Amino acid sequence: MSMNMEDNRDVLLEVKNLKKYFKVPNGYLHAVDDVSFTLERGKTLGIVGESGCGKSTTGRAILRLIEPTAGEVIFEGRDITTLNKSQMRDMRKDMQIIFQDPFSSLDPRQTVSQAIEEPLKINGIIKDKNERLERVMELMKTVGLAERLVNTYPHELDGGRRQRIGIARALAMNPKFIVCDEPVSALDVSIQAQILNLMKEIQEDLGLTYMFITHDLSVINHFADDIGVMYLGRMIEKAPTETLFENPMHPYTNALLSAIPVPSIHNRKERILLKGEVGSPVNPKPMCRFATRCPYATEQCFQEEPELIEVEKDHFVACHMCK
Amino acid sequence: MQEKDYMLKIEDLSVQYITEDEIVYAVNGINLNIEKGKTHGLVGETGAGKTTTALSILNLVPDPPGKIITGSISLDGEDIISVDDQGNSYPAMSERQMEHIRGNKVAMIFQDPMTALNPVFTVGDQIAEAIQLHEHVDKKKAMEKAREVLEIVGIPGSRADDYPHQFSGGMKQRVVISMALACNPGLLIADEPTTALDVTIQAQVLDLMKDLRKKYDMALLMITHDLGIIAEMCDEVSIMYAGRIVEHGNLEDIFDHTRHPYTQGLFNSLPNIQDRKSKLKPIRGLMPDPSNLPLGCSFCPRCDYATEKCKTEPPQKIWLSDTHYVECHLYDDGSTESKL
Repeated sequence: MSMNMEDNRDVLLEVKNLKKYFKVPNGYLHAVDDVSFTLERGKTLGIVGESGCGKSTTGRAILRLIEPTAGEVIFEGRDITTLNKSQMRDMRKDMQIIFQDPFSSLDPRQTVSQAIEEPLKINGIIKDKNERLERVMELMKTVGLAERLVNTYPHELDGGRRQRIGIARALAMNPKFIVCDEPVSALDVSIQAQILNLMKEIQEDLGLTYMFITHDLSVINHFADDIGVMYLGRMIEKAPTETLFENPMHPYTNALLSAIPVPSIHNRKERILLKGEVGSPVNPKPMCRFATRCPYATEQCFQEEPELIEVEKDHFVACHMCK
Repeated sequence: MQEKDYMLKIEDLSVQYITEDEIVYAVNGINLNIEKGKTHGLVGETGAGKTTTALSILNLVPDPPGKIITGSISLDGEDIISVDDQGNSYPAMSERQMEHIRGNKVAMIFQDPMTALNPVFTVGDQIAEAIQLHEHVDKKKAMEKAREVLEIVGIPGSRADDYPHQFSGGMKQRVVISMALACNPGLLIADEPTTALDVTIQAQVLDLMKDLRKKYDMALLMITHDLGIIAEMCDEVSIMYAGRIVEHGNLEDIFDHTRHPYTQGLFNSLPNIQDRKSKLKPIRGLMPDPSNLPLGCSFCPRCDYATEKCKTEPPQKIWLSDTHYVECHLYDDGSTESKL
């Protein structure tokens, strides 16, 4: 167990200056650019942002499903970016992922039990076939899949049930940490609520730590302890969930929060409409990446890239205005 | 009630998809009217029959296997689907006449702007094509108008010569909207127009649609699963479940005087921004298989208030006020107070 010396937090995961650049014809695409954060055991960190902001890449780079260009990922005190292939395979038992699309993330030719069994088999966790089936049944029960579905194929099941299979597969290795990459975005609201409740229950029962990637701010508000907001590869604001919703400081966070359509016909709030579109992440200039859309941008914003600074306790903002 | 000036009237529409193995009951007798210049929201989950309803209005239900079984549809007073003496429905127009209606009187925008545009033509060409067809002008005139409509949706006219891949998702959806608006339709059907877009871009597109609706005095049928968008855009709302409209009313009726257990379930499933500690209350179970609907109320197997009657008897429409109706046995006794 690693203890952070400054404050007695039980840190499970620490990400330091994580970068992922992709080579493209005219330079480098900065998908994740110098992102750092810590995640406490048993907590949920929400990562929000719009398409192309680098949130999924961050999740995958942490698991080394894509190799980070630079930076450290310290999991239980060990920098996993230095591990070799077989060490990494061992490590992955503790770090799992749930994908967005339950339609394409499952093999159409595997039955439910084969799909859930696969990780147990590959990692040689349970060698005996009957014992393995027992564990599969146990997992199906945990995620609320009826026993009779054990030999059905994914195409016979709806999105909610498929996502439950995805969750069961992730849980099969008894992980400590799960990256949830938009796990409910493809589901209808009534089913979405079922899956969110399930994930919360499992987290409490098994003491899991989540990194919850989403574009849906109302979902994240409900689910996360801390939230990091990303924009074009940068973390631009990070704070405890309540603080972020009550006192958002970055102009982009403000706009993002005001853009959520609220399902109520009372106290409707004024929208902050952003001009223009997200810029290009290819060869970004050393300036604030939000400056071109920011209603408050000054000279300085176009010349200097703001750092993520702790403005008040636990509240980090990367904006020249918020110092 | 006095007769209003309706842009769209749908009466008792039923659509089925008939295959060798089974019959899928997609839409099962719905009524839906939209007054000129008003916005009507149609809410429901995947498979509720929202898109089939929209396609029926354009007479674009794929046939076979799709069949309009009963019902009539009229657009701006003109019948598109009529009923004969035996009670069978038939298209009231030739395909040629229908082609004239589509685009001119009614236009539709789809969920995914990436697939709605042809990648090998410039967006200008694609918009001009519609204009040429409907307004019988030459290519040059049509192109001019195409540039104009692009400007209306906030895209510089000079970009008419660009190809779809040169636009971002939000801009592609604007192009699709401009295409739909090119011939000033009286009714615009928007099928999940912002679902594929990011929230800040969604806000821009919704704002644009609001402006245009006012400017052209256009009726709008807004199909969405997002009650937040409904609250923002619509005058009236219909909640659809398993091919039926189970509750209908104006915004106040639906949001403040929710009566149907399904509508209530939808609201409870949404994470509450104001109260983040509240536990989500999902609707248990799943939507029934549309090829094998329950005998009584379709929602009965998932309903917490279901009684014996709900299992055997489909509920009838009960008007709670001039604007608000619900299809639920809870209100059979004539009371209008909430039973939830």
